[in-house]
Amino acid sequence: ISPLSTAAEPWPENAVLYQQLKDEQILLSDNASSLAVQAFLQMCNLPIQVVCRANAEYMSPSGKLPFIHVGNQVVSELGPIVQFVKAKGHSLSDGLDEVQKAEMKAYMELVNNMLLTAELYLQWCDDVTVEEITHPRYGSPYPWPLNRILSYQKQWEVRRKMKAIGWAGKTLEQVLEDVDQCCQALSQRLGTQPYFFNKQPTELDALVFGHLFTILTTQLITDELSEKVKNYSNLTAFCRRIEQQYFEGHDKDSSTIADRCAKRSLLR
Amino acid sequence: MAAPMELRCWAGGWGLPSVHPQSLTVMAYAKFSGAPLTVNTISSSWKAPKGDIPVLISEDSVVSQPAKILNFLRKRKYNADYELSAKQGADTLAYIALLEEKLLPALLHTFWIEAENYCSVTKPWFASRIAFPLSLYLPGKMSREALNRILLTKGGPPLYSLTEVEAQVYRDAKECLNLLSKRLGTSQFFFGDTPTTLDAFVFGFLAPVYKVCFPRVQLQEHLKQLPNLCRFCDDILTCYFRLSVSGHSPAGQDTADANLQKLTQLVNKESNLIEKMDDNLRKSPQHPPRKLTTLKLAAGGEETSALDRLSP
Repeated sequence: ISPLSTAAEPWPENAVLYQQLKDEQILLSDNASSLAVQAFLQMCNLPIQVVCRANAEYMSPSGKLPFIHVGNQVVSELGPIVQFVKAKGHSLSDGLDEVQKAEMKAYMELVNNMLLTAELYLQWCDDVTVEEITHPRYGSPYPWPLNRILSYQKQWEVRRKMKAIGWAGKTLEQVLEDVDQCCQALSQRLGTQPYFFNKQPTELDALVFGHLFTILTTQLITDELSEKVKNYSNLTAFCRRIEQQYFEGHDKDSSTIADRCAKRSLLR
Repeated sequence: MAAPMELRCWAGGWGLPSVHPQSLTVMAYAKFSGAPLTVNTISSSWKAPKGDIPVLISEDSVVSQPAKILNFLRKRKYNADYELSAKQGADTLAYIALLEEKLLPALLHTFWIEAENYCSVTKPWFASRIAFPLSLYLPGKMSREALNRILLTKGGPPLYSLTEVEAQVYRDAKECLNLLSKRLGTSQFFFGDTPTTLDAFVFGFLAPVYKVCFPRVQLQEHLKQLPNLCRFCDDILTCYFRLSVSGHSPAGQDTADANLQKLTQLVNKESNLIEKMDDNLRKSPQHPPRKLTTLKLAAGGEETSALDRLSP
């Protein structure tokens, strides 16, 4: 897939984003990543259709979600998708200078390093959550015993990764403290600005929105994770603002933060 | 303050106080914040609790991992980030995450996985500092852990072979170095004129790449093309670790100074003597023959009188 061929074709109308089944199967971390990509594409004004498939994880070229199918190419994960979109001539971070671009990349790594890893930890290494939420959801499209086998396999894989990066020894409190530290850093960086790099949203805003919105609106065993985010009012205002600007009216069955909190809808 | 804290970490070499990135980070932070640390280098690794290096042992607690050690020091009022604004503190966290995600895999690869480097430099060096028979086992274990970490975090599809993963890892690391260089620009430290936590972390990760001499050095070559980062490392080494860039240890520097002092004193003495001799020569009579005759006469007179006295 040479860059020239991707640049030649304009963005088609029938671009599709694949993720897992929204109501029964998708987990916290995948939901966050998928929402981040959707937000990014909305910010670029590129139309995308969201399709839910049970085997989305296996369709993805890298095994990670979400992935987009544009023309005859398939690209997964936010980083490569941003580059792919840039090759087509759309970019949100062109107006930034070199130092700001370095900062943006650093903050995106911070979110991936802390928030995403914390979400994975909570989903796969916290026994209560694993038993009550993750196992039932992850294997829900498949019959017994395949559902149990697949979710144990995935759990083993994620736990291996956690051990390699040194998170296996952490307790839930330490993980929540890390989340708090990360949110504090994001809150301090955002300050009173509308977006992280003042007037225009960038891929960093999309990524942060994806993760924070998902944390705020997902019902888990306890509310501790969403409480950590709610402590920072500018972050919740940021999420609400992006949601109103880019998501309301586009997707009819996505409920707003207020609705979800009011209904206390379970993602079970 | 209470009893000094002890830091157990890997020893140094090639002009660095320590070869291990995490140990170097903690040492640099201690220097920046003025924390009194006695550094004990490892000679047999099984004495370290939990096997995690570096380890800070205070009178009542044992702390491992750099982030926790730094937090511990901050709680004891050794804070290098005192003057940072909230936003700069947030930037610190972000850049540290960038370093760990993008630069650390390449560092681990250069040290532990690149076959030539590992066999000729890393393994002998670490084995020589660990007691037998653990030295047969531990370097291999550290190498396997490094490989594991890289493969698990970076090695998913579509990268299927180790060479592809390596290529991606080094690309990321070079991009990270470029970003750091742009962020540092022309200032002395990352946040103005005083070093902070971020400077400690960057120094800890960059200095081993910069100084340790490996056979395969693509990352070092890339780093040397970024002169402001090289200057940053050299500055910290000369200012805070009192090591000259060529790598004399402090003890060596002291003896060199002492020798220099002695030499100077000797030269001074010699020059004093020469001056005195010069003075004497000037004060002494200008026409020796005449003086001699007068002396002779006097001496003769004196001699006869002396002889007269001496004769029984």
